[in-house]
Amino acid sequence: MSAAKLERLLNLTAALLETTQPLTAEEIRARVPGYPAELTAFRRAFERDKDDLRDMGIPLRLERSKAGTRDQDAYRIPKDEYYLRDPGFEPDELAALHLAAQVVRLEGANEALWKLGGDPSGPGGDPSGLVAELPLDGRLTAVFAGLAARHVLRFRYPAGPAREPAERQLEPHRLDFQRGRWYVSGHDRDRDAPRSFRVDRMGSDVEVLPDEFPKPARPHPGVSLQPWDLGREAVTEARLLVDGDQAAWTVQYLGADAVVEHRGDGSVELRVPVADVDAFRSFVLTFLDHAEVLGPPELRAAVVDWLEQRAQA
Amino acid sequence: MTTPRSGAERAPRATAGDRLRRLLAIIPWIAEHDGPSVTDVCRRFGLTRSQLLADLQVVFLVGLHPFTPDELIDVVIDGDRVWITLNPGAFDRPLQLTPEQGLGLVAAGSTLLAVEGSDAGGPLARGLHKLEALLGIDAGEALAVAPGPVRRELIELLREAVARQHLVELDYYAYGRDQRTVRTVDPRRLFAEGGQWYLDAWCHLAGDERLFRLDRMQTARALDEPVTPRGGDRAADGRGVFHPRGSDPRITLELEPDAAWVIDQYVVEAVEALDGGRLRVRLAVSAVPWLERLLLRLGPDATVVAADPPLDAGVASRAAQRVLARYRSPLPSS
Repeated sequence: MSAAKLERLLNLTAALLETTQPLTAEEIRARVPGYPAELTAFRRAFERDKDDLRDMGIPLRLERSKAGTRDQDAYRIPKDEYYLRDPGFEPDELAALHLAAQVVRLEGANEALWKLGGDPSGPGGDPSGLVAELPLDGRLTAVFAGLAARHVLRFRYPAGPAREPAERQLEPHRLDFQRGRWYVSGHDRDRDAPRSFRVDRMGSDVEVLPDEFPKPARPHPGVSLQPWDLGREAVTEARLLVDGDQAAWTVQYLGADAVVEHRGDGSVELRVPVADVDAFRSFVLTFLDHAEVLGPPELRAAVVDWLEQRAQA
Repeated sequence: MTTPRSGAERAPRATAGDRLRRLLAIIPWIAEHDGPSVTDVCRRFGLTRSQLLADLQVVFLVGLHPFTPDELIDVVIDGDRVWITLNPGAFDRPLQLTPEQGLGLVAAGSTLLAVEGSDAGGPLARGLHKLEALLGIDAGEALAVAPGPVRRELIELLREAVARQHLVELDYYAYGRDQRTVRTVDPRRLFAEGGQWYLDAWCHLAGDERLFRLDRMQTARALDEPVTPRGGDRAADGRGVFHPRGSDPRITLELEPDAAWVIDQYVVEAVEALDGGRLRVRLAVSAVPWLERLLLRLGPDATVVAADPPLDAGVASRAAQRVLARYRSPLPSS
């Protein structure tokens, strides 16, 4: 990459930011130094420069110019869209965000801090080497762009395992990172109902449409990943007894609210709302003989029945 | 942030755009500070001295039509210090955050907040709140990041043990083997991956490097004894959390359509679509209890069609009998 190209891009940005009227390609060619004199070469270079500016996130606007004798394409960069508002960070807040960007590795975080003025050598790295890497790709940033600006998303999504993807339109209300994956939840315009989607299952082309949607009346509760929550059966409350060796992680997994009691032998009794018996049985069986369904009796009988069939197989 | 645009396919390129992006952050920063040292600017923005000076050479040449250098941006370099004077309103603030940058920083901040506890008056929570306001998202309502379940006192104890390089005694439940053991480890690194936190450590019991999931630790105790340095640094960097060993037995299953979730929840080495939405998959068997769980859960939705080495055919029915024995003994009273 040549210094000449950098210089031209910087001059182009300055010209488009400082102009009072949108500039036509012809005006840009006359005012911005560094373009080839020959017309075809100029057009090619200008097209590339526009792409470069847009790739950087510079808000390049295409408008119509009425300045000349004929109506033609003209460009400008609106100052209010270009400049970062000063968020008014205190030095300790910036330092804390800087540490976060070192601990949690995500593309983009460090560049955000250049702009916000953080000091990378502030508090130093985390001495424990604590690190979390979160996946981030273009689909996720498009989803986030739609979420932040309240614009509808359009993407392709498979209707089920091994099914052909179909086009969906979503008003994105919330992003969740759970169990190592990103999910977006919101109002599905095609189904006219709340839905959640796995971002890594979306087709590669996630579009942020120009249509805006109003702020949702109620916050979306986010995605539920417990499969037994997701069924359409009437909800029953299962009581589950888990042995001491497995108690700690089970409580973390189901949440402390689920605990009925910790027993003297270290085991724990939990209550779990179940809307899908098959999914719940599948979960209980991951404990092998370290857990049992205490009730209600129908649910316990369903597990015993399943086990008897497996025992005879 | 409101432009319709598509994601995904933009490959990273080191271009004029990359340099310009950095320069547009450097210019207002230098202008705002009264003659910072070149060394400080380089450190903050991750540049070498010669890169910075080359970029500032370009800034000298920026101007507006009709061309008058220095009118828009004036740069003075004197010894190790650098001054930039800007025409009011021109490049005096950085370019707004791209969605990628905004999300990156918000997600990083939310993750660390989840680990360290949400002290609402703390600098991280305050900073995050301002950042969310800047990006136009509702704090706590529009973005939730759970890098993995965290017991705060446990993660604090392990962070400290890694930093001080002291031995840790773990009471650990090995899920795959369905065994609980107490072991001493040299703690090396804490990380989150796939929605779980792990401790990468040298295990004295196994005499080898092991990864330990934090949610499977019953207890952890920091010992007074420091770690004895071991020759040959860790080999675990960049290693996936679960990677089948070549020596693990392999099984091939045919799955009914209802059992397609297996390919999401298990590390599957091969998948083949069959008629009617059925799937044929190959998996590595890391331990017998692992296989017992899988077959008990799937029941009639899975058929074992091949196993290398051949499988003990009674593995699922014996596991079922063992679990049934528990249901047939009197209910434990509370």
